[in-house]
Amino acid sequence: MDNSTHDNDENLVSFLEGGLNDIERKAIEQQLSVDMALKQKYDSLVLTRESIRYYGLQQQVASVHQQMLQEMVAPVRKINSPGKIIRYTIAIAASLVLIAGSYMAYNFFTLSSDKVFASNYQAYELVTVRDLNTDETAIERAYREKKYKEVMRIHDAGEDLTIKGEYLCGTAALELKENVKAIDCFKKVLEENKKTGQSILNEEAEYYLSLTYIRTKEYDNALILLNKMHDDPGHLYNERITGKLLRQVKVLKRR
Amino acid sequence: MEVIRNFPDSELVANLRSGQRMDETIKAIYRSHFDSLSWFVINNSGSRQDAEDIFQEVVVSFIDLVQKDKFRGESTVKTFLFSLNRYTWLNELKRRGRALAREEKYERGQDKVELDTTHLIADREGKAEVARLVGELGETCRKILLLFYYENLSMKEILDTTDYESEQVVRNKKYKCLKQLEQMVNENPALKQTLKNLLHG
Repeated sequence: MDNSTHDNDENLVSFLEGGLNDIERKAIEQQLSVDMALKQKYDSLVLTRESIRYYGLQQQVASVHQQMLQEMVAPVRKINSPGKIIRYTIAIAASLVLIAGSYMAYNFFTLSSDKVFASNYQAYELVTVRDLNTDETAIERAYREKKYKEVMRIHDAGEDLTIKGEYLCGTAALELKENVKAIDCFKKVLEENKKTGQSILNEEAEYYLSLTYIRTKEYDNALILLNKMHDDPGHLYNERITGKLLRQVKVLKRR
Repeated sequence: MEVIRNFPDSELVANLRSGQRMDETIKAIYRSHFDSLSWFVINNSGSRQDAEDIFQEVVVSFIDLVQKDKFRGESTVKTFLFSLNRYTWLNELKRRGRALAREEKYERGQDKVELDTTHLIADREGKAEVARLVGELGETCRKILLLFYYENLSMKEILDTTDYESEQVVRNKKYKCLKQLEQMVNENPALKQTLKNLLHG
């Protein structure tokens, strides 16, 4: 490299860096406009300078990038951890709600008056402790022998119109699925007891009457009796009137 | 303690253009846009690492474009960054040969409504070439050239950071380093063309 070439290069670099006075700068500009080789050299220097500048920018962003990843990742993990717990909790809760909802929906759509009746009904068993002086009545014997039609016949023939006879009429009618008859007989038990101030088989009649109302879908009537028994801890059937039974009847009523 | 603040677009662009408060401004870009832009990459076949790398490149490209006055505020910084991010990532997916039909469909679907920045962004290879090229310089040369051409320090300021005896010695060293780098560029025409595409668009 001769001295003139070196001087030219230095001038070009000075021009690139804005280090020339006006006269020198204009002289270089003039040369660049006519000397293509010089112009190529200058362009090459510009490209080199731009490479350095771009590299510097890459390095600066890379440096900040590292700082920011540390700054962002750490808190993000802290935030994410509870976030994950919350998400999982919500997911579990949602699953439970879904399961519970499905269960409730299943119960809602499969619930029927017959189902509720069947799950709460137990045929009344006549338990009689007698002394030698007391005879078993015909209606009692017929009921104990599960001759329900005979029970009905005795009742309807007016052969036993006692409170107990009315009650056995009701339970026999239930067995025979003669609901209207059963309601009529149980009602008579309640009326007669009320009229005479007695309570012969009164609580039993209330219970079986409420079940009969469920069976006939007379839910308002059923609920009056069920609530009465539920609210009376001394009632013979209090423990059988569960919250579940009350909810089921209310659901049936809403449907 | 560092004060964390966000900049309005106008202030952010002004800082980048002038080179003032660069670190603080770049951090503001990360805080405001990293999550949403990385989400795009991660939800389009990318990993967390991909998202970080692409975002870093996008920030470099964005600052470079601002400093070359190619971002004129016709869209918000957010929109512009999103467009750069999207293009850079989809281009990378194609490069990797696994541009899925889903992305292609997405790309086609978005063309009409997205800001078109495709002509503004060089390939990743070009950017990597710059890093490789300057990285091949000796450490001293790299430091002097960066301090002078990127940090815009004076010869006296550079002298204070080196063991050289005088400003003239630093000036001579800087000249030699520049010529060395220029020679490296000129020795490889393909590289030179790549740099031209990247730096002069």
